[in-house]
Amino acid sequence: MGALYGAARAARSRLRPFLSESRAIVPILHKIGGERSFCSHSRQNSREGAVDLGQFPPERIRNFSIIAHVDHGKSTLADRLLELTGTIKKGHGQPQYLDKLQVERERGITVKAQTATMFYRYGIKEDDAMENLSNYLLNLIDTPGHVDFSYEVSRSLAACQGVLLVVDAAQGVQAQTVANFYLAFESNLTIIPVINKIDQPTADPVRVKAQIKSLFDLDPADALLTSAKTGQGLEHVLPAVIDRIPSPPGKCDSPLRMLLLDSYYDEYKGVICHVAVVDGALRKGDKIASSATDHVYEVLDVGIMHPELTPTGVLFTGQVGYVISGMRSTKEARVGDTLYQAKSTVVPLPGFKPAKHMVFSGLYPADGSDFDALNHAIDRLTCNDAGVSVSKETSTALGMGFRYGLSVPQEYGAKVISTVPTVPYMFEYADGSKVQVQNPAALTSNPGKRVTACYEPSVIATIIFPSEYVGPVITLCSERRGEPLEYSFIDCQRVLMKYRLPLREIVVDFYNELKSITSGYASFDYEDAEYQQSDLVKLDILLNGQPVDAMATIVHNLKAQRVGRELVEKLKKFIDRQMFEITIQAAIGSKVIARETISPLRKNVLAKCYGGDVTRKRKLLEKQKEGKKRMKRVGSVDIPQEAFSELLKVSKD
Amino acid sequence: MGGNNSWKSFGANSQDDTNLRRALNPHHTEDSTGSSNCMERNNIPGAEASQKEMEMPRSMNFQLYPLLSLPHRPRVGSKFSPTPSTSLLPCLTAVCRISSDVHTSIPLPLPRPPLPEAAYIHLPFCRRRCHYCDFPIVALGSSSHRLDDDPRISTYIRFLLHEISAAKAPSSLHPPIRTVYFGGGTPSLVPPRLVRSVLEAIRAKFGELAADAEVSMEMDPGTFDARRLDEMVGVVGVNRVSLGVQAFQEELLQACGRAHGRGEVDEAIELVAGCRGIESWSLDLISSLPHLTEEMWEESLRLAVSARPQHVSIYDLQVEQGTKFAKLYTPGEFPLPTESQSAYFYKMASEKLSKAGYEHYEISSYCKPGHECQHNQTYWQNRPFYGFGLGSASFINGVRFSRPRRLKEYEQYVKKLEMKTTAEEDDDVAIVDAKETAMDMVMLSMRTARGLDLKWFESFFGEAMKLSLCRAWRPYIDSGHIVAMDEEKRVVATCDFELEMAGGGQRRRWEVAFLRLSDPEGFLMSNELIAISFGVLSP
Ligand SMILES: Nc1nc2c(ncn2[C@@H]2O[C@H](COP(=O)(O)OP(=O)(O)OP(=O)(O)O)[C@@H](O)[C@H]2O)c(=O)[nH]1
Ligand SMILES: [Mg+2]
Repeated sequence: MGALYGAARAARSRLRPFLSESRAIVPILHKIGGERSFCSHSRQNSREGAVDLGQFPPERIRNFSIIAHVDHGKSTLADRLLELTGTIKKGHGQPQYLDKLQVERERGITVKAQTATMFYRYGIKEDDAMENLSNYLLNLIDTPGHVDFSYEVSRSLAACQGVLLVVDAAQGVQAQTVANFYLAFESNLTIIPVINKIDQPTADPVRVKAQIKSLFDLDPADALLTSAKTGQGLEHVLPAVIDRIPSPPGKCDSPLRMLLLDSYYDEYKGVICHVAVVDGALRKGDKIASSATDHVYEVLDVGIMHPELTPTGVLFTGQVGYVISGMRSTKEARVGDTLYQAKSTVVPLPGFKPAKHMVFSGLYPADGSDFDALNHAIDRLTCNDAGVSVSKETSTALGMGFRYGLSVPQEYGAKVISTVPTVPYMFEYADGSKVQVQNPAALTSNPGKRVTACYEPSVIATIIFPSEYVGPVITLCSERRGEPLEYSFIDCQRVLMKYRLPLREIVVDFYNELKSITSGYASFDYEDAEYQQSDLVKLDILLNGQPVDAMATIVHNLKAQRVGRELVEKLKKFIDRQMFEITIQAAIGSKVIARETISPLRKNVLAKCYGGDVTRKRKLLEKQKEGKKRMKRVGSVDIPQEAFSELLKVSKD
Repeated sequence: MGGNNSWKSFGANSQDDTNLRRALNPHHTEDSTGSSNCMERNNIPGAEASQKEMEMPRSMNFQLYPLLSLPHRPRVGSKFSPTPSTSLLPCLTAVCRISSDVHTSIPLPLPRPPLPEAAYIHLPFCRRRCHYCDFPIVALGSSSHRLDDDPRISTYIRFLLHEISAAKAPSSLHPPIRTVYFGGGTPSLVPPRLVRSVLEAIRAKFGELAADAEVSMEMDPGTFDARRLDEMVGVVGVNRVSLGVQAFQEELLQACGRAHGRGEVDEAIELVAGCRGIESWSLDLISSLPHLTEEMWEESLRLAVSARPQHVSIYDLQVEQGTKFAKLYTPGEFPLPTESQSAYFYKMASEKLSKAGYEHYEISSYCKPGHECQHNQTYWQNRPFYGFGLGSASFINGVRFSRPRRLKEYEQYVKKLEMKTTAEEDDDVAIVDAKETAMDMVMLSMRTARGLDLKWFESFFGEAMKLSLCRAWRPYIDSGHIVAMDEEKRVVATCDFELEMAGGGQRRRWEVAFLRLSDPEGFLMSNELIAISFGVLSP
């Protein structure tokens, strides 16, 4: 999980800087109606209405997501479909065209779901006359496969009626395949299984079909076989989308209701919202209202992602596109919100739950005086991404900082200290009151009130792996205080296990560990589950008797001893000898459970200092002083910044 | 805003100051020791002469520099008050208020930086480079035994003489030079007549030396015999010798690449100790050499004491970048002693030499009462000094300047210098960074047993700064690394110190007058403790 955590951290760093750039590629628009001639428009002179969306009543619209386990080929498949429909030019642009974020390009994974509208001429078979081709408007949403971004999948599905469930023909069904299947299944979406990468020598589509049957009860005959690499079988994909996925169910003549799917901030255009028009139509100049905030906005620009922002002046029932409405910050654009015509009254759409961050870490500027800079950076971050939660806090050791959910702005990575990730615990006191604790330091060891019960959040984890690794996986899960829930074979070689695990146990290093004990073959997914009672203690780290609040953790009683030892040993490595002896202790309340000492410096003196070397000596000592500056002082002990970040790495309790 | 600027550098424009001083009618004391040389110069007619009359007088008691206030504050040019009459006035041409909590709008008046009374002269020649040495030296090799006619030496001396005579002699009333130090290199390799010519040049420039002037020379065993020593004393006027013994063990001498052995050491000690004209001599040792054992160190200290020098310098080996030692050894690792071993050696030296009647008056210096090296005191008291010769440093008018360390560049430098003097002076604006001055003052004085004179410090940097400094060091007074003392050098108890720092309501007289590092614990941690004070002086 450490790796995932890291990925998540990097992920949000540069959110969508690319959408704001005007691209060199000239979008090729199908001229709708009339001849199937191509006509190119540059962004600047593509006039609104170049695309006549009025031609697409709901029955000519299909909205679908591509979902899969990580790396099974979603984005590559999306490329092929965009090319096939002429939405992007073949061979132009980069592979995984929709992965626009820097982090996506660097890591080759999708982090943000991306929508693209395509036009496709197709004759429905029932028409009998194959010449009678109709134009279809297809909205494709490419989603991330990575477990950390599954929230992106769920919100994408809210705009769809069906999905392409892509499965790697060689790897077969993996944990996120299962998780994403259930997301689609529970949303009552049509599921089209696509067995991809059949060009690979180790491809075994027959086995994958069997897995699909046994795990999802899907008819193997419905599975499409493709290679997004060679193009094999791709011609069947869009026809299947049109034939099998229902058109959006909205009512054209009802008042406007649209679902806010996503939002981001563009430096030049301001807040850009992605919306799915459920009922009615939206036109430029309309006044729209938010049911969450009651704010009213004027629609300044509206259009589709084709794949770049393409103004259309209007969006009709069932269509997915973007709206620019003068919102100042993404905080005003609540994903899952219902937008409607101001002055009309509508019943809000069911929406969907906002992202809930369950993993928290303190974030402090390395240099206390940089708080403003960090504050500014965090502001920008939250402005860019409605999904980040942040609150200010103060640590006695680290000064002012933030407690943030999920992500850290990358460009500040070097200059911030982030503390051991924690999860929100719940403490119940003798008087019946309950307190949620996110920052362990906030939980005083001796609150006067007696703690009668502690609760911690848990998750239900799904792990799929080759059966020979059952032993190590069970060991790992029980070490992590897991409770086995399910154990089944998905075929003759692969096992699916479900465990209830404390969230705390998976936030640091779990996934890494799992990968390493299964030679990389295990896949892992989790969903949030409820709070569980647990025997928790607050573990303090003390330097010369003084607790260091930023290093406090809440751990399970059984693990306190080991974690305490580890933390203390690690700290010893990172704190330089100083003029006094330093004792490092880990303690639960007043009980010390681990202890190390650092012997004092014996000698730190410059032998000679004569006229010639005054300046040199002064500079030397100034350097030494600068070194001290980079330290955080707790009591009489100087702690280097690294010590804080290093502790983050160690604490796999 | 103003508060943040208080640490800027200020330029002291001599033109302004001269006028101001003239307006304020400075007293002009005639120098009783003024040589005929000086008188002659006084006779130079015209504007130049009158300008010269305006130059620094001898006494510092009444000649005050007009102060240079902060850029944003009104200039308070006429506020003068006498400076504390102390011989320890530092070169400080800037006024500074450091703390943000206490601001006086009237900056303190500044004393005119006194003219140097000390001169360092670098004679860089050595037989060969010792393995620990990173000094600017010229290795002559051991082949030519007759060094007295070596053209490398005579050429160098020529440049040195040119440098001295090209130096800006600020006044006909230059205070007499009180200390001259021939350092190296191995000055004892230079023929006495050449050394003499250097001293002559100094006299020609600055007038006759003070009657009790200290003239020191570094000498290495094996580089002089009785005759040469007599010449150095009799012909040149050397009256203090710093003898580079370094070690008493053959194997250690060899391991550090010294050009002499134990036999030469004993011989040299006998010569120096028995030489009449030498009033004071220092025996120099290096501690923590590779392969040094406790027994050897014990022996070295014993032999040092029995040689009965008035002064002992003990340098802890520093492995400097680029030296042979740096290639061979890592500090703290065998064959170098471990950190705690070398701390132990330091303590041994302090203990044994104290027992033998030596005062540990500076981190690496010990002496019999009254035998402090006057020249080095100049450095530690942050007083100005001249520097001449390859790689040497000077500290004049608050400005530290180092000469080139390479022979060719040094020669170029001297040539340029000569041209400049004839083409009128151009660099009378001294830019002094107040922060640096404060750091130097603390760094240097804390090396000595006298410690930091708090009143003196306060007079430059204000009470708030003094208090911040005390606060930063407070824990180390508790721990015994720093000692607080009153005017009479009596130790002040920590609780009293505390009370005084709290200050305010009590209105007690500030009894703590000095802070010093304890011996040996504080001295051993001097870097750490001084670096801590830097955090206050230059945050
Ligand atoms: N051989 C082969 N490789 C493929 C095929 N489809 C995709 N790939 C490769 O598989 C890797 C992953 O492809 P992506 O399209 O980025 O996968 P993804 O599902 O979008 O990954 P995430 O978005 O990170 O979940 C890339 O190196 C692709 O080139 C295929 O049909 N055959
Ligand atoms: Mg992808």
